[in-house]
Amino acid sequence: MAAKELLPLLDAVSRVLLGKEHQVRLAFSCLLAGGHLLIEDRPGMGKSTLAEALARVFALAFKRVSFTSDLLPADITGLNVFNPAEASFRFQPGPLFTQVLLADEINRASPRTQSALLEAMAAGRVSVDGTSHALPKPFFVIATQNSLDQVGTSPLPEAQLDRFLMRLSLGFPDRASERALLQVGFDPSSDSFPRLGPEALQQLQHRCSSQHCSELLIDYILDLVEVSRQRQPGLSPRASQGLLAAARAWSLLDGRDHVVVDDVQAVVPAVVEHRLDAGCPARHASPHSEALLQAVPALR
Amino acid sequence: MSHQRHASSLAWWALPPLLLQCIALNWSAPLTWPTWALVLCALFKLLECRRPFDRRLVALLQLLSTGLLAAQLQGLLASVLQLVAVLLALAGLLGHELAGALTFRGFLQRSLQLLAAALPLALVLFLFVPRLPPLWTTELGAARGAVSGLSPDLDPLSIAELTLVEGSAARVLLAEGQTLPMDAYWRVLVHEQFDGRRWQHRDPPVSRGGSGPPRVGEGTSQWWVVEPSATRAVPWDGSALTTSPDQWITPEGELLVGVASRQRRSFRLQSTQRVADWQQRPPVSSERQSPPDSLPRLKALARQFRPLPTGRERLEAVESWFRGQPFRYSLQPGAVADLDAFLFDQQEGFCGHYASALAALMRAADVPARVVSGYQGGHVVQPLSGNPYLELRQRDAHAWVELWLEGEGWQRVDPTLWATTTGLPAAAVVAESGQRQEENVPWWRWLQWQWWGLDLAWTSWWLSFDQASQQAWQQMLFGAQLRWLGVTAVVSGFVAVAGGWLVLHMGIRPRSSLVQSLRLLTRLGVVPLQGESFPRLCRRAARMHPDRATLLEAMADQQQLLAHAPLTPTQRRHHLRQWRKIRSRLGRRR
Repeated sequence: MAAKELLPLLDAVSRVLLGKEHQVRLAFSCLLAGGHLLIEDRPGMGKSTLAEALARVFALAFKRVSFTSDLLPADITGLNVFNPAEASFRFQPGPLFTQVLLADEINRASPRTQSALLEAMAAGRVSVDGTSHALPKPFFVIATQNSLDQVGTSPLPEAQLDRFLMRLSLGFPDRASERALLQVGFDPSSDSFPRLGPEALQQLQHRCSSQHCSELLIDYILDLVEVSRQRQPGLSPRASQGLLAAARAWSLLDGRDHVVVDDVQAVVPAVVEHRLDAGCPARHASPHSEALLQAVPALR
Repeated sequence: MSHQRHASSLAWWALPPLLLQCIALNWSAPLTWPTWALVLCALFKLLECRRPFDRRLVALLQLLSTGLLAAQLQGLLASVLQLVAVLLALAGLLGHELAGALTFRGFLQRSLQLLAAALPLALVLFLFVPRLPPLWTTELGAARGAVSGLSPDLDPLSIAELTLVEGSAARVLLAEGQTLPMDAYWRVLVHEQFDGRRWQHRDPPVSRGGSGPPRVGEGTSQWWVVEPSATRAVPWDGSALTTSPDQWITPEGELLVGVASRQRRSFRLQSTQRVADWQQRPPVSSERQSPPDSLPRLKALARQFRPLPTGRERLEAVESWFRGQPFRYSLQPGAVADLDAFLFDQQEGFCGHYASALAALMRAADVPARVVSGYQGGHVVQPLSGNPYLELRQRDAHAWVELWLEGEGWQRVDPTLWATTTGLPAAAVVAESGQRQEENVPWWRWLQWQWWGLDLAWTSWWLSFDQASQQAWQQMLFGAQLRWLGVTAVVSGFVAVAGGWLVLHMGIRPRSSLVQSLRLLTRLGVVPLQGESFPRLCRRAARMHPDRATLLEAMADQQQLLAHAPLTPTQRRHHLRQWRKIRSRLGRRR
């Protein structure tokens, strides 16, 4: 059972990020579904910790880029450098060529750099001077962004938000978790993590995409998408694909071989919200995704 | 909660059809007030729905009031409205009981299914249960009221008021292949008592007889729908045969059907060409009674005609006298003091005056005479669907005279026509007595005609299955073996119930696990919230009923497996068995 292999990993990451089991689960399903993750929160909430822990438990190569306003596309994709010895250009891969990339504070970079990253995320390859270079697999981007009310940020456009499978917000830990944090402390770089190799991850990703999905459930997703389109621009077909993939991953984490409505409902807020609020995180009481879930009958 | 909102709105929607029918009820009928009370109770209860029981009460009230309405209103429109009301009331009840289980359309479909299930039994009852008169036709209150139309109180001199009324009096549909009479006289009331001023109608005794047992199966059918009127007598052509015991032709030639009421009356007659009994019945003394002495000039005129040997010759002499006088036709002749004043001074009036004067004159000339009021002409309507029918309107009301001529029997004479030929405004006469061409029919009128066409078809097919038709049908089916009738009725009743049961269970199986689980949860008082998935609902139910928590969670698991998991047929059967076990254990522990 997939959950059996994954449970220790979930446990380990949850021990690092105290009191955030739900978010950790969502991050796992994002990884299993092969999507990219956007974490949005204030500084110091544990965004980088989560990214690093995820990379560690799957024993993936991990690189981190702190985005600044003067970061250029070549700084992340890499560039062709002239090799005088061979009198030819040689491609020098940038930090993008890794398995888990933590793009810290992505909204501080210029739109040009953001778009270079997002292109790589969508295509799984990087083109430099007309030559395309495949990125390693699995390739997983965890982008973090500060809340938009902070000075000196350029928000991600809607089209690029759509490329992220999920957007998470970690939020403050509860009192008990914070107490544990203060008393015990943690070290994300410690070697005490249980590990699962990248091959195992790829196998899991494959299993994930073959989770059984009944007609009733497809109908439910279609209903959700249809209702969302009645109001605003609505959810794109990429969003509905993402919703299904995320729900499949969630069901795998739950140890089932089929997807149920609850799986979809669990991932809807993370998958749908950033596509409906056009990058302005809902601070009001009822987010779009909640209204969407309430509008579609779920008894199936 | 969208589903519950739908469900409650279904119950609300049942009220407009009920209220509409209530408005159409006869205010003086004894059943009207209970019906109104029931409908209003349902309305207020629906406004103040607090407990689940209240919703059931609302549905019960709505169904009861529909039943009461069905006893009182039987036309096509009323029947359609009753059907809609029942459908919506049932759907509202289902919507409450199975909140969230089905969509809005699902509830309506389910409600329709329930009605369809009840249909076979209703059909068997309709075919076999004898029509007990007090049950089958409800007596609906005082006969006399403010209905427009001919009435025993209305003397022919008041017909002018009636001709101003824009309303339908009756409609007749003939069987296939019959041509509608274009310029016929439709008798209603016979006025044979003359007091010097007015011709009065004498109500026939209540006892029945004279027309003998109904004769069924000869001739072709006429289907009549008579609008509510204050008289038991209804329009007829004077020669048709009755078809059921509650129709009766008086010796004077009036056709009585049922009771006078505000209820629309529908009945069937058989056309014949033979001479009717009443036409050959010799005049009784009241029909020979000479006018009183308060009309000296009329009597003096009549004395001139007495020497003529036969009634026919006297009639011809009177006609030529009429034609020689400058009579004018007018629907507003002003006050006419008496017949002397009309005949010799004013010489202006309408059919009632002419008929009264001629009948009085002929009696004074020793020819038995009487005034007949009814309708003349009518309008042929060709609806888009079905056969053309004849519509008689209140403005077709007319009065004429019948004379007893030796050797010929009672003969119709219409003196109003004599006024037409004397150079008077012909259009006016045609407007009252002739048939008229409809031009520029307003759209609502056209729609009304179409509707009445359907209504007549409905009447001829459905409402006219009266006791006589029922007996004839049973006679045809069983012949001499009528003793088997009871057994057949009971057996068909059982078959119908079984059929209904089958219809009821036709659509249930495929969606069983979810719908039946939801029904079970509703019984436990757990109603789904908006957007709530089934496992969540079960978890919530488990929190509300901790003693059943394990079972409820197991039910959620099994249902979700059945709905979403990839199962082989064997696995499916296994999980279905599990689910049924859980369901019955949950249902038992109440």
